[in-house]
Amino acid sequence: MAHRLSPGHEEGASPNGWFASEQREGAGGGRRRWGAEAGAGDRRARRLTRSCLPTGRDRIIYRVVEAPTGSIAKALAGRRVLLTGVTGFLGQVLLERLLRDVPEARLIALIRAQQGVSPRERLHHLVRKPAFDGLRDHLGSAGALADLLDARVEVVDGDLTRGEPELPEGIDVVIHSAATVTFDPPIDEAFQANVLGALNLYRAATRHSRPALVHVSTAYVAGVRKGVIPEGPLEHRVDWRAEAELALAARGEVEAASRTPERLERFMAEAAKEHSRAGPLTVASDAEERRRTWVDRRLTDYGRARARSLGWPDVYTFTKALGERAVEELAAEAGLSLSIVRPSIIESALLHPYPGWIDGFKMADPIIRAYGLGQIPEFPGIPEGIVDLIPVDFVVNAILAVAAHPPGPGEAAHYNVSSGTRNPLRFYELYEWVREYFEAHPLPERGRGEHKVPTWTFPGNLRVERLLRRAERLTELAEAVVTHLPKSRAMREAVSRVDRDQARVRFVRRYSDLYGPYTETEVVYTDDRVVELWGRLALEDRARFPFDVATIDWKHYLQDVHCPAVTRSLRELSRRERDRPLVRIERRDEPVLAIFDMEGTIIASNVVESYVWARLADLEPAEWPAELARVFGRIPGYLQMDRRDRGDFLRTFFRRYEGASVEGVRRLIDGHVAEFMLQKASAAALRRVREHRAVGHRTVLITAAAEPFVRPFAPLFELVIGAELEVRDGRYTGFLSRPPLVGEARAAWLRRFARQEGVDLRHAYAYADSYSDLPLLRAVGNPVAVSPDSALYRYARRRRWPVEEWSMSPGMPRVRFPKPAVR
Amino acid sequence: MPRPGFVLEVDERTPPLLVHEGEGFRLERFPLGTRVIYPPDPLPGVPDLDAEIRRALLHPLGDAKPLPELLFPGMRLTIAIDDISIPLPPMRLPDVRQRILEHVIELAARRGVEDVELIVATALHRRMTPREIRRMVGERVFRSFWPDRLANFDAEDPGALADLGTTDHGEEVEISRRAAESDLVVYVNVNLVAMDGGHKSVAVGLASYRSLRHHHNVHTMLNSRSYMDPREGRSAINDSAVRMGRHLAACGVKVFQIETTLNSETFPSNLGFLNRREWEWSAADQALMVAAKKANDLAPPRIRREFFRRIEAPYKVTGINGGEVEAVHARTLENLHRQQLVEVEGQTDIAVFGVPYLGPYNVNSILNPILVHCLGLGYLFNMYRNRPIVREGGVAILFHPVPWEFHQVHHPSYIDFFEEVLAETTDPATIEQKFEERYATDPWYIHLYRTSYAYHGVHPFYMWYWGAHGRDHVKDVIFVGGQPSSVARLGYRRADSLRDALEMASDTVGSSPSITYFHAPPIMIADVR
Repeated sequence: MAHRLSPGHEEGASPNGWFASEQREGAGGGRRRWGAEAGAGDRRARRLTRSCLPTGRDRIIYRVVEAPTGSIAKALAGRRVLLTGVTGFLGQVLLERLLRDVPEARLIALIRAQQGVSPRERLHHLVRKPAFDGLRDHLGSAGALADLLDARVEVVDGDLTRGEPELPEGIDVVIHSAATVTFDPPIDEAFQANVLGALNLYRAATRHSRPALVHVSTAYVAGVRKGVIPEGPLEHRVDWRAEAELALAARGEVEAASRTPERLERFMAEAAKEHSRAGPLTVASDAEERRRTWVDRRLTDYGRARARSLGWPDVYTFTKALGERAVEELAAEAGLSLSIVRPSIIESALLHPYPGWIDGFKMADPIIRAYGLGQIPEFPGIPEGIVDLIPVDFVVNAILAVAAHPPGPGEAAHYNVSSGTRNPLRFYELYEWVREYFEAHPLPERGRGEHKVPTWTFPGNLRVERLLRRAERLTELAEAVVTHLPKSRAMREAVSRVDRDQARVRFVRRYSDLYGPYTETEVVYTDDRVVELWGRLALEDRARFPFDVATIDWKHYLQDVHCPAVTRSLRELSRRERDRPLVRIERRDEPVLAIFDMEGTIIASNVVESYVWARLADLEPAEWPAELARVFGRIPGYLQMDRRDRGDFLRTFFRRYEGASVEGVRRLIDGHVAEFMLQKASAAALRRVREHRAVGHRTVLITAAAEPFVRPFAPLFELVIGAELEVRDGRYTGFLSRPPLVGEARAAWLRRFARQEGVDLRHAYAYADSYSDLPLLRAVGNPVAVSPDSALYRYARRRRWPVEEWSMSPGMPRVRFPKPAVR
Repeated sequence: MPRPGFVLEVDERTPPLLVHEGEGFRLERFPLGTRVIYPPDPLPGVPDLDAEIRRALLHPLGDAKPLPELLFPGMRLTIAIDDISIPLPPMRLPDVRQRILEHVIELAARRGVEDVELIVATALHRRMTPREIRRMVGERVFRSFWPDRLANFDAEDPGALADLGTTDHGEEVEISRRAAESDLVVYVNVNLVAMDGGHKSVAVGLASYRSLRHHHNVHTMLNSRSYMDPREGRSAINDSAVRMGRHLAACGVKVFQIETTLNSETFPSNLGFLNRREWEWSAADQALMVAAKKANDLAPPRIRREFFRRIEAPYKVTGINGGEVEAVHARTLENLHRQQLVEVEGQTDIAVFGVPYLGPYNVNSILNPILVHCLGLGYLFNMYRNRPIVREGGVAILFHPVPWEFHQVHHPSYIDFFEEVLAETTDPATIEQKFEERYATDPWYIHLYRTSYAYHGVHPFYMWYWGAHGRDHVKDVIFVGGQPSSVARLGYRRADSLRDALEMASDTVGSSPSITYFHAPPIMIADVR
């Protein structure tokens, strides 16, 4: 296939061609960097334009007119290349590159089916992402890209953690870039993914073929070693088979340990402390949730502890290291050619698919974003330490070069794709440049101008740790205070503040624990073999697949490419009004239920208060003190009982009605208590009930109060479910004629009612104020938390449920005594 | 003869003047040259109230027989009474209505009338509580009639209403069935302001929404100059009430009207300075004023409200007349004008009003922002004859804190009106057209009106229409000291001080406007020439 390189100085791409660039060694052999004078790396610069290219006299811009036939493309032409992890960060660019610049490679993608989406569907979804924008534009349409995929990519379904996949014959190259995304997975999962998964893949691939293996690992497999790390097999004597076996067995042990009575009791006690008001089922499911979390956390601890005891900072690098060893053994036994590519910290693309391309957030980005939001006052790390970043496109290019230049059969080659040796980025430089970036382009804070970024002093890890501990203690204290505040708007604001502070402190804790080792390392990964490989590339390949880290201008990369990319979503977010979840009341053809809790939701009162009001209205003022003393004396007992079991409390409380005449209570309520209830009602609540009625919804009131107390609101509801007091000879016996409807019983009742009435609860609305109503709220499709307590408030915010503040009208007295009845 | 009303021109010697502002008051220095309208001094009361009542019942005015002659055994007698909205503040006991009722009931008993019913003529106002009714009618009457033969009118009880056809203007007349079917209706009124009494008593006080909507609407309000001037052709609302009253008479509803007028002794002696002109305050008045102001400013809102709620007016009765409605009412207006009319020469660019703590619709309740609007731009603005105090296109400056406060039991539809209707528009005509029907027929409001103590669902609309003329007439309304959010919701502007308000008004009326301060309460009517 012919190609023509024509020197040119045009700006902008011709419709059919695209620019690539080549850097020539300058006369003085000086180091030049990519885009030293480049502008912001935003998406407008997606296609390589001159602004992204080095500027200077000794530069030639090549315009590629025909399809490429450089050595990489040539070496892989006609070969069947199996890819894993194509949906991942690295894999996307790898796939895009192969599709676009290695036109004659035949691709096989191993993708696992996910939640009913077939592997091929996943692939087609994938190519709608921004990484493929350039290719799509080049081809002219999404349809053309889909055709290209179907023509060139064979999709194989398989999950490596489940065993060996069924692979086609005649595979020439395997590029394994699938990996776990987290640094602290449970130990068994880490081994499954990083050791056994790789073995499953290679065993399956070698069953019918003898492919060259390209195994993507990480530079940090070197662990906590200091100094210079060469590009060769790791030196350690860890028996990966024994480790893997024990790691897999660990889950059984931990699962068993989590089920001991003592542990289960502890989970139950913790769950009960938080959820007892919501009912035993909620407690049980929360206890089980806690057990599962405990198991995972314990397995993570197993992993971290084992890794550290053997000289690795975490289970990720540990298992990656063992994975390398396992693969080396397998390749040697089978006499296969093995290349191990060890990238350092992979970050956004410098050039390809476009400057600043990133998918999700990688290692440094959450920290950069949080720093830009002013949320990290200090961070541990050695200022002079090297932060070994590498743009994702450099890694992909290196992988392709490696794949095109495999070692001989039975041989293994290791490549450190890293920047630390030849173009080190120091931690303080990173910090300075990021800070400069944010000072020049601060993140907007909606309604409050811009975020101010803190100045780090690098006071040493001990001091940072002390600061962090203090912050943790303070937020714990604040947490203890706010959860005990009475229900109010101020309490909810305090809870939000504490939650925000806690999230920040937890964030810093998590990242400093996780990444501390990476910012503290005093280690240099040599990349002689990578340099040598670079030297072997044809000029055209160098232009098209650059990975010479010496050319990266870190300041430019950070300030013009990376930081704009990782903060773009934050800037867009702050421009948009954050949409508060809202209640939408819509008319439907089918019947719709709207369920309202009464106490605390519709009225700012409770059963005790309404009882007292009724009692006092019935008594002469002279008798009030004695009655008030009787009731108030019991209140601590009631409160305690209520906290333990609301049903018990109600049963006990309603005994007070023993002997009262039904007619007398009814008269008292119509004459006096009704006024009290209406006075305590929220106008917004009543308006909402009526809005539902206006669009034909069926309104239901659920209350703990005795049925007569609900009379004032009865006209607003189709159905009122209250406590039913037993009546004998026109007088209350003080017993309930059916169990009180509280907590889970409300949800159960609602489900049964909905079934009977043929109503779909997915369209139903429920309004409640207390965490004890959680089962009720969860039973419907449109739950609304009304002036919620702290537990419900948190839950509602997490679930993005609408939260409404309903209260009495200002100006109404909160406490009022009834006027004695006029007889 | 007490001193008549008076217009002061502020000069260097004028002390700071008292201005009412809700549950409080302030002393304000007005710019030199400001005209201040003071009401006439209180008239003396009648020397012997019982004798005067007897005279009114036995020597009726107009084409009416003495009351005893109208009473006979076996007849059906209905006595209707004005409700808690008048007088303001509530009258020190005994209430003049109680005194009259006792005479009327005694006469009826003596004449062997057994079927007697008392109806509190609330129209669409809230029901009065038993306690309030007992206070108004007195223990004796209450014990004899409550609850079966003394009750609040219920304008939403379909069985208790009688449809009496329409007036020659096509206005539907629907009033209490009991009243319509009685042999005689005795109406006992208190005529606090010129819009009360006359045909408004039965034809409005005992009417339903269906009937009321013909005169309580934006059109009549914009065509009443003012509704405090019931001369024919001046007040569209009064003209309509008169047509309905005459229609009732034509239908055979026989009314014996008893009207009373009060003097202007509005505040008790411990707040006597509120009744007097500032430069005439004695040392004791000054001390009282300082003490009252300090205590009031420091008191928590609840205590302050309670203090004002407990004010009872030491009103004295200046006249009682009975007989035929129109003849009685003409005499009543004479008496009223004797006490309330003040001659004022010409209009002004800026009128200043102090909105007090109490209006007709917040007795024992809260003066919510809609009622502030009604009291300021409805009642105070309309206290004129001939021409408004402020010229067309002028500015009204009102003093009131306008807190975002509502009484949930008394004013439930007001809350929704404020949150829902005013949030969308403040234009009375749009509001009437788009929302009135829905609120007036809302079953929940009707339920609360009938069973609780709530004003009818449509009532906030009337309050909004009440201010429509004032709102239409002036170009700018500024509340001094008003809560920003609630004043904005009303569609007005606010200022921190009178000086700021005048500065803001200068955009409309220039930098040297004429200013008139309407120094009420006590209540008066400015007769603007």
